[in-house]
Amino acid sequence: MAVIRTEKICKVYNPDTIPVHALKDVSIQVEKGEFTSLVGPSGSGKTTLLNMLGALDMPSSGKSFIGDVEVTRLSDRERIRFRLHNIGFVFQHYNLIPVFTARENVSFIMMLQGVGQRELLERADELLESVGLGDRKDARPHELSGGQQQRVAVARALASKPRFILADEPTANLDTKAAMNLLDIMEKMNEEQEVTFIFSTHDQRVIKRARRVVTLVDGAVHSDETTAVDSAVKDNQ
Amino acid sequence: MKILLKIAWRNIWRNKGRSAALLTAIVIGLWAGVLTVGLMTGLLDQRIDNLIDSEIAHLQVHHPEFREEHRPEMVLPDVTELIEWLDDHESVRSYTARSIVEGMFQSPVKTSGVRIMGVDPDRERKTTTFHENIVSGDYVDVDIRNPVILGLELAEEHNIEIGHRIVLTFEQLDGDLASAAFNVSGFFRSGSTQYDRGNVIVNLTDLQALLSEEPVFHEIAVVLHDIEEAESAVMAINEQFDGLVAQTWDQLSPELGTLVLLGSFMLFIVTMVIMIALAFGILNTMLMALFERIREIGMLISIGMSRIRVFFMIVLEAVMLTISGAVIGMALAWGTILILNREGVDLAIFAGGIEEIGWPTVIYPAITMGEFFSITLVVITMTLLATLYPAYKAFRVNPMEVEKDT
Repeated sequence: MAVIRTEKICKVYNPDTIPVHALKDVSIQVEKGEFTSLVGPSGSGKTTLLNMLGALDMPSSGKSFIGDVEVTRLSDRERIRFRLHNIGFVFQHYNLIPVFTARENVSFIMMLQGVGQRELLERADELLESVGLGDRKDARPHELSGGQQQRVAVARALASKPRFILADEPTANLDTKAAMNLLDIMEKMNEEQEVTFIFSTHDQRVIKRARRVVTLVDGAVHSDETTAVDSAVKDNQ
Repeated sequence: MKILLKIAWRNIWRNKGRSAALLTAIVIGLWAGVLTVGLMTGLLDQRIDNLIDSEIAHLQVHHPEFREEHRPEMVLPDVTELIEWLDDHESVRSYTARSIVEGMFQSPVKTSGVRIMGVDPDRERKTTTFHENIVSGDYVDVDIRNPVILGLELAEEHNIEIGHRIVLTFEQLDGDLASAAFNVSGFFRSGSTQYDRGNVIVNLTDLQALLSEEPVFHEIAVVLHDIEEAESAVMAINEQFDGLVAQTWDQLSPELGTLVLLGSFMLFIVTMVIMIALAFGILNTMLMALFERIREIGMLISIGMSRIRVFFMIVLEAVMLTISGAVIGMALAWGTILILNREGVDLAIFAGGIEEIGWPTVIYPAITMGEFFSITLVVITMTLLATLYPAYKAFRVNPMEVEKDT
């Protein structure tokens, strides 16, 4: 079964005044373990689609399923709870909680899930180790570089054991080295733990590493290509 | 809950300057508020206690029309039974009977209208504290003929000293005028210049001898063991005895009751002004904090924090900040009141004005635990009310705010 599936979703902003069709009949399906990028020029609908996939926004029409749950039928409250247990988020601006340490940021989502104190601390430490920040777990966000903050964000996204992770322009604010380092971590998790990643990006460095590239133009799927991983690209970068 | 407390507490201190400013405002606001309440309460209590203790007592008994007409013939009917009742009644601590007439006070300088009160010095001492008001000379039980004590103000107006002789003229019970010379034995200062200008005290026996052949009384002042029993005692007297009327201290001196009401109203206004200022301070701070963190709140809702938890996070931030300020402010205020209650606040520079109307010049602020906790409760309630709007705004944040550029 697909991890996520959309059926002809449309999103129209300002339907009563000057309608803007952000998404037009978008139907895509993402299977478990995919490493998918959503690409397209600015205004093509990448972020809007990501919001629909993440149950952050509701389509004007069409359906969206995560597993066998039709999220488009859920109430706002149900969607929040659903996101907590099923979707991991990585944001362009990292969006860590500034008053929490790296460890607290990662364990926060598990606290919301009601995970026991001991278990969540162990898991937070493991996740921070896995993103190479085992020695910075007590650092607050302002004490970390952009790349480190984004790695904490990836660890946080994984902490809730989600079905998939949505990342909105995860490398947009990172230098090449930090971006490649982040992609290495995401790829490793994808390969070793079959974590499903869906990310929107403009970044050619990321697009080249994606196994599936869905291109959006003017709110519609323009192309959907599955590519072989080019190890030479990885090495060259 | 633990996680909310943790995040709320740390959020308070992410902008230390702003939180410190608000905390200071809460501390000063509460300190000033409690102190104002304390001063006002102290002032009112002293004024009321002074009047009750020195003259009015807890209740008084008169001829039904005496207090309106002040006619000498409006004496209490046969008081033997009433005296027996007062002697037997457990709630009565002491009582004193008085004769009171309106008259003229003549000195070599001029003539003034006064109220002449005949008192039994022994019973008066047991019942009231008026004798403590004597600032020089002796009370009216001194061994001279027809002793009289005057207020200092009246004495100064008439240029009178102790030992001088004055003449009091008043109407007898049968309507004839009586004049008699009295010897000034002492001066008193009651705290009210108005009272001191308009009252003279003589010995009950001397006055009664001039008023009629039989001893007559116009007033019986009663002090009970507990002032709270005044109403029931008054009811009992009015039910059992005909031809007289008993009244409680607040009926006798309605201005005192009005004073208490006015004081409460003033306190309410002062407290509300402070609380409203506090509420707007909190509202402003919380709104600023919210707008700065709108993306962060969007993120919290995106990753799965429920809106109700976001709401309570904002409320908790304000409540924790306010409680911190309230604890410091209340402790400071309590300490200040304790010190001032011992030392007193000397309003000497205003003394001329407030003494004129019978107010004390040294105030001993006081606050009851009830008032103290009421203010605390009002602070917390106002904080909660002031936080509702920012918390509601946070509750309504669109999770997609997380992606907006700052």
